[in-house]
Amino acid sequence: MNRIEAHAVGKRYARFAIQRPRKVKEALFRGMGGLRPVDTFWALRQVSVEVAAGKMLGVIGTNGSGKSTLLKLIGGLSRPDEGTLVVRGRVVGLLELGTGFHPDLTGRENVFINGVVTGLTRREVSEQFDSIVAFAGVEAFVDSPLRTYSSGMRMRLGFAVMAHTRPEVLLIDEVLAVGDLAFQKKCVARIATFKADGCAVVLVSHNLEAVTETCDEVLWLQHGNVVARGPAEPTVTSYRQANEDDDADETGAHDDDGG
Amino acid sequence: MPLTRRRLVHTRDLFLELLVREMKLRYERSSLGMLWAVLTPLLQMAIFSFVFGAVFRVDIERYPAFIFTGLLAWNWFREALFSSAGAIVNNRELVRQPGFPTAVLPIVAVTVPLLDLLAALPVLFVFLVASGGSLSPAVLALPALLVLQFLFLQGIGFLLAGLQVTFRDVQHLLNVSLTLLFYLTPVFYSPDMVPGWARTVYGLNPMTHFLVSYRHILMDGTMPDWRVLLVIAVLDAVVLRIGWTTFVRARFAFVEEL
Repeated sequence: MNRIEAHAVGKRYARFAIQRPRKVKEALFRGMGGLRPVDTFWALRQVSVEVAAGKMLGVIGTNGSGKSTLLKLIGGLSRPDEGTLVVRGRVVGLLELGTGFHPDLTGRENVFINGVVTGLTRREVSEQFDSIVAFAGVEAFVDSPLRTYSSGMRMRLGFAVMAHTRPEVLLIDEVLAVGDLAFQKKCVARIATFKADGCAVVLVSHNLEAVTETCDEVLWLQHGNVVARGPAEPTVTSYRQANEDDDADETGAHDDDGG
Repeated sequence: MPLTRRRLVHTRDLFLELLVREMKLRYERSSLGMLWAVLTPLLQMAIFSFVFGAVFRVDIERYPAFIFTGLLAWNWFREALFSSAGAIVNNRELVRQPGFPTAVLPIVAVTVPLLDLLAALPVLFVFLVASGGSLSPAVLALPALLVLQFLFLQGIGFLLAGLQVTFRDVQHLLNVSLTLLFYLTPVFYSPDMVPGWARTVYGLNPMTHFLVSYRHILMDGTMPDWRVLLVIAVLDAVVLRIGWTTFVRARFAFVEEL
């Protein structure tokens, strides 16, 4: 079963005048006309891709190639302007770890908030609470405020919650770049479990080694268009070559079009 | 468990978690805790009673209780609108989660100050009785009035939450407007004292009617004017419709603009 089916999907964004009113005051002075976009551009065009249950798709491309836009579309955070997109199952986004975390609340309180925000019910969180805390390895600190945690502990806790959400579609945007080697290994192992359980995974990353290693298929985007789509190894290789021919500067740069 | 039912349970849980988080962050770390919800209107009441009762000599019976009643409804109004306006822009990381029901945020924003009001309600009852009143069965109409005000605030709340995404000074303008509107709403005076030529304008302010109705129920022990409540109910429906439409339209813009 295909969990994600995109057919000729396109997303158009409006480009606004630089002096577009951002305030009521300005809009009143300059007239509401300034609110209309001066121009539109396609952030994504003619993208067709399927991800079957248990498969993992890697999305690569330089900054501004439309990777994050694709993730937003699959996550239902924005709607395609053309083409059809079908997503089957519960979508969990691993776009940032620990969404909703507040430093003044305890680890326990934050696990509940983060769990519910990520899509679990309270009951599901409490049933898995011990397992979440053990996975993160913060048993001794559950009732201390989060601000007393090290950044590594915070990250582990965020990932631990996500690891217990049983997603059917998992969207990952670069987060695995953080953390030490042991943590990364744990993440990769967990994602393999998800896949075995029939979860479709989409990974957006600049880490080409990780993409080659973990993904079944790779989608290479450039200026919103598909350059290539195919098995991980050869696609990444041709992407590497194209970049070396072009300019070596791009590698290692971070995507900044996350919103 | 069917998807729709799970969704319902999840939305309820999300609402409760966010509500509890808000309350904890507001009160748990202060030594007085929820007492603040009562102390704030009490202090306001003391100052208004002194300034307008003792200095300006406003002649209203049971003046402190009169002001306290008005303040509770007004503070809810002010807090609800102000935090609704920030509900989306201050929670962008939540809004960016796939499947996050964005509409929960303005509802939490309106509910938190309602809890403040409910916490202060027993103190108000004490004041009402101590000032020589008695609670009549008319008090039973209070929940209905609270529901009407809730729906009214929710409608405006959705509208403001949506507008703030496009116009970043909505909260600022709101702050100024609310400060001015406070004086034009009969919180520390009675609408009877307003000169005849200004009464029509006063009638256009929904908060005037809410305050008058609260005072009917709590101060006079009489039932509120049901015709007025009916008009408010219709107004609620209209405001909710407009607010919700604006909010839904802005829903996808949230993620793209934030």
